Amino acid sequence: MTFELWAVVTATEQLAPLVAAGLSGGAAVSAVAVGPLELAQTASGMGVAKVYWIETSPGLAAEAYTGAVGELARRSAARAWLASAAPGPRALLGAAAAATGAGLTTGGVALRLDGEQVVVEREALDGAVIETVAANGPIAVVWGLGEGEPAVGAPPAEIEPVPAASPWAVESLSIEAAGGGLSQASRVVGVGRGVRARADLALVEELAEAFGAEVGCSMPLADDLHWYAEERYIGRSGLRIAPAVYLALGISGQPQHVEGVRGARVIAAVNSDPEAPIFKTATYGIAQDLYEVAPALVRALRDN
Amino acid sequence: MKTIVIYKWFRSAASALVRQDGQVDWGGAKMAAGDDDPAALDIAKAVAGPGGTVTGLTIGDGETAWVLARGVERALAAPAVGPLTDELATARALAQAVRLVEAADAVEAADAVIVADAAAHPGVAPALAAELGRPVVLCVSSAAADGSQITVRRRVGNAVEVICLPPPAVLGAVAAGEEARPPGMMETIRARKKPVVELPVTPPPEALERRGTRPPARLGARLFGGSPDDAASALVAALRADGVL
Repeated sequence: MTFELWAVVTATEQLAPLVAAGLSGGAAVSAVAVGPLELAQTASGMGVAKVYWIETSPGLAAEAYTGAVGELARRSAARAWLASAAPGPRALLGAAAAATGAGLTTGGVALRLDGEQVVVEREALDGAVIETVAANGPIAVVWGLGEGEPAVGAPPAEIEPVPAASPWAVESLSIEAAGGGLSQASRVVGVGRGVRARADLALVEELAEAFGAEVGCSMPLADDLHWYAEERYIGRSGLRIAPAVYLALGISGQPQHVEGVRGARVIAAVNSDPEAPIFKTATYGIAQDLYEVAPALVRALRDN
Repeated sequence: MKTIVIYKWFRSAASALVRQDGQVDWGGAKMAAGDDDPAALDIAKAVAGPGGTVTGLTIGDGETAWVLARGVERALAAPAVGPLTDELATARALAQAVRLVEAADAVEAADAVIVADAAAHPGVAPALAAELGRPVVLCVSSAAADGSQITVRRRVGNAVEVICLPPPAVLGAVAAGEEARPPGMMETIRARKKPVVELPVTPPPEALERRGTRPPARLGARLFGGSPDDAASALVAALRADGVL
């Protein structure tokens, strides 16, 4: 037995995790593509049953189309709605949930049909637990996983244009790139309040050089202490990075910061507090004083 | 402009005790100010502008002194609405409360409703906007208004975006820094003596059934011990084995 799942997307990189989640959960997946035709065309080749395409006007943000998605949702029989945590698709997901009365939850990592209920497993309490929730009717989920492989070699699905009669006047006036080389770096050293003085940043810079890494920081070092420029702050309201390896030095691991490094392939952390939340997120850790570990890391990197 | 800031509308994850079997005990945890609540208030003040009004709104057992101590003259609460699992139900409760505030003010709509775009409950702000039938912008770190337009700034991925939209609107606020000047103890004590208006909001039904919680499969990092040199060498070896170094 299958069920209908609609994935709401505004950019191609959002597609694969949502389509993969739906297909692995046994759903017949359709995409609601809000953007240019290229987005709908990409979606149609990713193993979906159908693509509903809402064409966006130049200059309007995705959030302008909440009304159109709400209207589309009202005539849908979908049992599950998925979107990434990015602001555009999330705004559209909220509209779909409100239009259908769908139970709305966050951090989904798996879903399936269980009898008449759609069951979702989700990360809760900053990843401390996995919570299982179920809905008898539709459910809308801000999806928590950023990776997934869609079907390969799938035949292209039908693209149905959906008119957006009266979008909101939510206008994007300008978009400027930020972050420079840090946002594209394959190795990043992040530094937090575990560093006691500005002069001690030399220790971090030396490690970053040995590591071949760019240096970023947690919010207090940019916002409060002004040791680094705002452009180097990593977190939910700062840079979001996806390096091969992220080394967190003296960073406690508050959710604000961790959200900015979720895309990292491997996270390693050095913090003197073994109970620091960063060790729940990291793959590897050293629970010792960074003032002793950082020079040791430099030696280890240079010795081999 | 007239703005409504919604604050202390969920409990902090830090208040929950997670047992080894994954069961969660909230104890007597109250609705708490989230990381983004001060940013929401700053944005509400900025959009309201000189001569404008900011109304503070909380639900459940959220303490109104938080907003009263930060320069807001009017605080309202919907005490019957406790923490809800379903974010749409939370949004519907907040929408009820907003409409009651607007009805009391005899206005069709406040110019802007600002709510924390909380990482733990990211569906609430957009669902609130949809329930109110208003446009929304999320991840807003600052905002200003010129009378006919609201202009907001936000960081999306690795870009800074400037967006404008017409009132009435809903803005989801995120903190771009720590609170600049939190109030002192005396201000908070004085704020606790100020009047609070209670709103008769009925908790909406929830469409989600909680089946329980369990520990995640991976409980944390693989920790390397020994001397700093031993630990550093082991970490470097592990990173090399993973092909990231």
